[in-house]
Amino acid sequence: MNSIVLNIALPLLVAFLLPLIHASSRIAARITGPLVLMVMMWSAVIVFKALEYPVSIALGGFLPPVGVSFHLDQLALLMATIIPLLMLLLWPYQYEQNLREQTVLLLLAAASSGLALSGDLFNIYVFYELISVASFGLAAANRQASSFAAAFRYLLISGLGTVLALTGIALIYTQTGTLNLAQLGLLSSRLDNPLGLSAFALILLGIGVKAEIFPLNGWVAEVYSTASTRTSALLAGLVSKLAVLAIVRILVVAYDDSEAGLMLLVFGVLGIIWGEFSAWRAQDLKRMFAYSSIGQLGMILLAFSIPGEAGMFAGIAMMLHHLVVKPALFLLTEKWNHGTDSLRGAARLSPLAAALFVLFALSLIGVPPLPGFWAKMLLMSGLVGMDTSVYYIALAVLMIATVVEAQYLIRIAVTLYSASDRSSELRLASNTGVMSLFAVVLLSALLTLTPLGSKLYHIAAESSNRALYIRTTFNVNPTPVLEHKNATQEASL
Amino acid sequence: MRNLTALLFSGGLAFLLMVIAWQFTLGDAPMLIGAAILDNAVKEVGAANLVTSVVLGYRGIDTLGEIAILFTAATATSMVLGSFAMTDEASETEQREDGSILGSSVRLFFPLLLTLGLYIIVHGHLTPGGGFQGGVILAGAFFLPLLAIPGRSINHGGIALVEGFSGAAFILIGLTALFSGQAFLQPLFEHGVIGHLFSAGSLPLLYIAVGLKVGAELSGLLANLAGISSHAAEAEK
Repeated sequence: MNSIVLNIALPLLVAFLLPLIHASSRIAARITGPLVLMVMMWSAVIVFKALEYPVSIALGGFLPPVGVSFHLDQLALLMATIIPLLMLLLWPYQYEQNLREQTVLLLLAAASSGLALSGDLFNIYVFYELISVASFGLAAANRQASSFAAAFRYLLISGLGTVLALTGIALIYTQTGTLNLAQLGLLSSRLDNPLGLSAFALILLGIGVKAEIFPLNGWVAEVYSTASTRTSALLAGLVSKLAVLAIVRILVVAYDDSEAGLMLLVFGVLGIIWGEFSAWRAQDLKRMFAYSSIGQLGMILLAFSIPGEAGMFAGIAMMLHHLVVKPALFLLTEKWNHGTDSLRGAARLSPLAAALFVLFALSLIGVPPLPGFWAKMLLMSGLVGMDTSVYYIALAVLMIATVVEAQYLIRIAVTLYSASDRSSELRLASNTGVMSLFAVVLLSALLTLTPLGSKLYHIAAESSNRALYIRTTFNVNPTPVLEHKNATQEASL
Repeated sequence: MRNLTALLFSGGLAFLLMVIAWQFTLGDAPMLIGAAILDNAVKEVGAANLVTSVVLGYRGIDTLGEIAILFTAATATSMVLGSFAMTDEASETEQREDGSILGSSVRLFFPLLLTLGLYIIVHGHLTPGGGFQGGVILAGAFFLPLLAIPGRSINHGGIALVEGFSGAAFILIGLTALFSGQAFLQPLFEHGVIGHLFSAGSLPLLYIAVGLKVGAELSGLLANLAGISSHAAEAEK
């Protein structure tokens, strides 16, 4: 189990050495990055398979809560597997002058894995900061004036977020005297007051910058429309999910049974309204996807705000669905004209690209029988299951947002298939190979929905179980049994 | 729309800060981890400087993260500065001193700063200071000549070499512990006698790696910026 630290150590090691490898052999430098990602995937899969119940590993050999610990459960390892996989798909293979970009991507891979695994508040902050700095570099990698401006604004907003998050963490430390998540879980009564909730709000806003949370998402449209497609796909697909996951971990373990969940709900609903309506008004294709991504992340936050297994299940399903569909849409439309009107009649010349677009769009809207429908259904039934007026309002907003979402996505699909008045030479030039792969993933998810669903439910049950998390960290008889509410007392220090 | 959200955000943040200011009480912070570390650090890690035992012992992974952040920032900066940074042709054309006082004092200060920086790095586990502080002083030592003698170039290859290998050394020390059956970044070797130069296990080695990494990183970054500004000056002519 200890070998999972390779997923952080190895990419960092290679990133440090990559300039030297490049100086001695260009070919070696080109293959090292993908090789490291493959090793990372392999290492994560091995640990994933060997894992029968959650395990906590102590870094530096110092036991938690004094030392930093990693929490290995199925959700963390699932993310640790997806990170190198998605990076392999989005790796800049074809360009020559991309040594620095490859270096930054490896650093991003290491930081993302760390964020997924970490069980310590300050350690989460360090990896989050590393992700931030790496993504500034990627956002500016295009080397155009517009992307520099976007990256600079992103840097300012993200810097503000970092300060907020750090303030929140410091506040938690002054109230509890610890940074270990599991110990915070034991001391959660000290955080169930206005001060503790303010700390959570600060962390939510701070880390939420990457999760495109409502007031701090000004950078999203600008960065996604100016940065390279691969960067947009990574930021929207992967980094945003990891940020959400970090917030959810803190919520589940340290803020059980408090109003913190409602905070997530409010920000989620605001994000849905703002994102979907902005997307509806957008004329530029990439901006539309950027805004729709804000809306989708709002839905994911909304899902995680439902307490218990139902919310975790819906959240993970929405998250994985968006993780497949949004990068695919960004890649598919990479070479498409930004203005939506110019796509008129393009489906005649590029039927495959158009068909893939329709498939992804329909799944994003949630049309049955596609996986997106299933994920949204889980979210809706979770909201109904809460049986409280706040959640019913959220449900109503979600319904309206879905109609809006359908309107603007179908508008583009119709444009693609409508008859062109001029003899259009427009081809939707794009490399459909990778996109077909995403489509295959999506469709195979559809075919294996029942086993996939039960597996995901198992993952959700495990990671929404706060007592299990605490017992795992302090290594008190970890068992695969799921219900032990009194474990909190057992694990007391 | 943008103004409205900005207003909303500022209002919310002000409210949040007011709540914190209203509720926050000073002076009675619980000392759970802090007390545990104060009690056990000397016994468990063996460093006379307790801060070092936290930075490299208890939270070594965070320190690894910090040097990675510095490295990422430097890499991202050179991504933005781009092609300017790597061309040294112009720098070899002219090397002139801006006055003999400046030149002589740089030659005087260089070995002093170097010694001070290395001293602070090597004694990081004994006295206040360590790899980060000493590394910054090292970077200052290498940057001074660039300031005093415009047009002088810095050895980018050498910097890259130190940068790469010192970072790798930190991780390799950690991995050595992992592959010898311990945890990643677990301190190696015996603790030795507290307060001696050779004590605290592998912590001094880690701090030397950090110091060299920070020094190389910062001097590379400053040299890049200096290269840009001298380019800009030439372009103006």
